[in-house]
Amino acid sequence: MIAAFALIAGVVTGLIFRPTVPNWLEPYLPIAVVAALDAVFGGLRARLDGVFDAKVFVISFVSNVLVAALIVYLGDKLGVGSQLSTAVVVVLGIRIFGNAAAIRRHVFRA
Amino acid sequence: MVEGTSTHEVREPAVAKLLVDLVMDPRDPGYEAAALRRGDAPSNRWWDAPAVALGCLVVGFTLAVAYAHTNRSAPEAAKVHAALVNRVRSAEKDGTSLAKSAQSLSNKLNAVRNAALSDSSVLARSLGTAQLEAGAVAVKGPGLTVTLKDPAAATSVAPNGSRANSINADHVITDRDVRSVVNELWADGAEAIAVNGIRLTPTSAIRFAGDAVLVDFQPISSPYTIDALGNADNLATGFAESDVASRYATLQSAKNIGFSFDEHSKLSLPASPTVALRYAHVRTEPPSNHSSGAHK
Repeated sequence: MIAAFALIAGVVTGLIFRPTVPNWLEPYLPIAVVAALDAVFGGLRARLDGVFDAKVFVISFVSNVLVAALIVYLGDKLGVGSQLSTAVVVVLGIRIFGNAAAIRRHVFRA
Repeated sequence: MVEGTSTHEVREPAVAKLLVDLVMDPRDPGYEAAALRRGDAPSNRWWDAPAVALGCLVVGFTLAVAYAHTNRSAPEAAKVHAALVNRVRSAEKDGTSLAKSAQSLSNKLNAVRNAALSDSSVLARSLGTAQLEAGAVAVKGPGLTVTLKDPAAATSVAPNGSRANSINADHVITDRDVRSVVNELWADGAEAIAVNGIRLTPTSAIRFAGDAVLVDFQPISSPYTIDALGNADNLATGFAESDVASRYATLQSAKNIGFSFDEHSKLSLPASPTVALRYAHVRTEPPSNHSSGAHK
């Protein structure tokens, strides 16, 4: 419940303040979005599985963002940035789909 | 060969397992491990709820920022485009006003020069002829006006608001047509010619770039009005009998282009603002009092 409220509060804050994304941060925005979605779905599924843990949730989100950003940063420096960013999005996207399927099984028993 | 297949068989399951794990069991293993460590006892750390709240806050904030950023870049691009258009428009306006002031200054110069030179002198007359031939002065007199127009249907706006972009359908009349009419008029004895109000000089070029006809690098569009000064009757007769006229008369009935020519007793053509020396320099100290000539 708190989580849902915090999520909505975050969205509202972002929409109200509309901070300008600096140019150097722009390539990492899609990664951050996918990692954030992955954290949300992963946490929701763990909650439904009954194994949710706040520490794991926060740390997995932060580390996912950092590792993904690091991979893309290295890729940018080596000239394969867009490819690696695609790879990150694909991997996290598959996870999101899997978690969404698990959530669906929990909710609809189907 | 045998070795190759054997290593393949060893490796393949590992790769496949990675993918299968990813697809079949995407849950972060950290949750399992934490649950095992914790056992059945419910968590009672005081910072659990704030941590989750903070995490969710950051997640929501990230999503909202990404949304705002994506939706803002589109209007920003439009803003940049509008700013560029404004700059082009103001530069065009500046160019027009500069051309106008150059025109009035050169008119003043001509008036002063004419006053200085006596009207009957040979020098004044030869200067006048040279200026007329160079298109450096505005002129008026009788003449012929030839009008070429793209087919009306082709230039109409398409239903979706954008003009059809095919040269065949849209721009039937090109630089070649304008040029052939101009050349025919010169051949028929025209003394000065202007196309859509742009005076032709001996160095004028009529060209085609993209979808526009360029006269001295200024784009013009249909209808193309070609004003020629000269003996109106001779011009009209010569032009009417020419191959050029008969070609466009044929095209008028076949392709529906607009083509007409009329005699006028009074036409006035502007001076060309583009008369400029490119290689020759005017001497700053006059060697003799009547020389304003150029040397290499």
